[in-house]
Amino acid sequence: MTRALVLFAHPCAESFSAALHTRVVEALSARGWEVDDCDLNAEGFSPVLTEAERRGYHDLDHNQTPVHTYVERLQAAQALVLVFPVWNFGYPAILKGFFDRVFLPGVSFRLEGGRVRPNLTHIRKLAAVTTYGGTRLRAVLSGDPPRHVVKRALWHVTRPEKLRYLALYDMNRASQTTRAAFLDRVGREMGAL
Amino acid sequence: MRALVVYCHPDPASFSAAVRDRVLEHLQAAGAEIRLHDLYAQGFQPCLSQSEWRGYLDSPANRAPVSEAVSDLEWCDTLIFVYPTWWYGLPAMLKGWLDRVLLPDIAFLMPDGVNKTIRPGLGRITRMGVFTTCGASRWLTFFVGAPGKRTLLRGVRLICAKGCRTAFAAHYLMDSSTPDSRAAHLDRVGRAMDRLIGRRARTTEATA
Repeated sequence: MTRALVLFAHPCAESFSAALHTRVVEALSARGWEVDDCDLNAEGFSPVLTEAERRGYHDLDHNQTPVHTYVERLQAAQALVLVFPVWNFGYPAILKGFFDRVFLPGVSFRLEGGRVRPNLTHIRKLAAVTTYGGTRLRAVLSGDPPRHVVKRALWHVTRPEKLRYLALYDMNRASQTTRAAFLDRVGREMGAL
Repeated sequence: MRALVVYCHPDPASFSAAVRDRVLEHLQAAGAEIRLHDLYAQGFQPCLSQSEWRGYLDSPANRAPVSEAVSDLEWCDTLIFVYPTWWYGLPAMLKGWLDRVLLPDIAFLMPDGVNKTIRPGLGRITRMGVFTTCGASRWLTFFVGAPGKRTLLRGVRLICAKGCRTAFAAHYLMDSSTPDSRAAHLDRVGRAMDRLIGRRARTTEATA
């Protein structure tokens, strides 16, 4: 059975991001996948890489210790789905901290002769579900950092068979109809991931 | 000149600290007024909380949890970031500073009845400097699209003054750096700072 790790990064249950999160978990469960639902805010995940972690970053024998439960959850997954809002041109700090602290050398990548080699290739399906306050044009003007991280950096360490980046732009002015249509699309895409 | 320097590294002995000091020296030499925010030393809390999100649009009350950072942001005309690039981007601590401090009615104005789109709020900032170190090579950083650099030099710059002057310098392949490469990089930072400050004739931007 496929096991999916869902990383959710919005603090509020009444947000549209939370509705997307619920839809993602429902759609993946409905197709018989085992879902490891990780609500980073609810779990009180600390995104701050500490001085000790920085000093021990490349110590492959010990660097996983402070976050080993998250490493195990990541390593058990065959699918990874990120659900987050875009705030100020990127994902929230709490999700960035997950990459900083958990996507360690020896976990997400390994260095071979100074080259970064992928180390999460057991993840065969990768998806991001997100909302932007600004328009698509604004995202393009800012260089769209979150899209690049998912489609290039995460792609680089997972090499998935399937990758989907699902985004709703101009959230500040999105109508009820637009949002409902996006929710439906996310449900369909998760059913087919 | 009023410069706000936002510095983010957990280790006081890091190379980023040396970059910060070089930046500060050049600002001092130019007679700038300086305010330094050392996010790790402050124990800055990077997670935008439930109550902050619920009160996000409620200005001026929205600035209360981060009032000192907001007033320094409003005070400065020069904004400088010094940080290590982790996972191609800003450390979570620094991303959280953007999340919590770049608020509506301070950093940008939300769409309203008249304006369809988000408008800049940091028009008084006319200079921005970005100084970082990358574990990855220049090639890999560019392949990924340099998300950290873009977040600041394209994203945040969108909400600063039109024609905001910029400076950028990165030391790539930091894990195989040498005393020589680090010294050469500090000199590059110094030259980029001089151009940013405008002490010499304006030439092309530093890109290395």
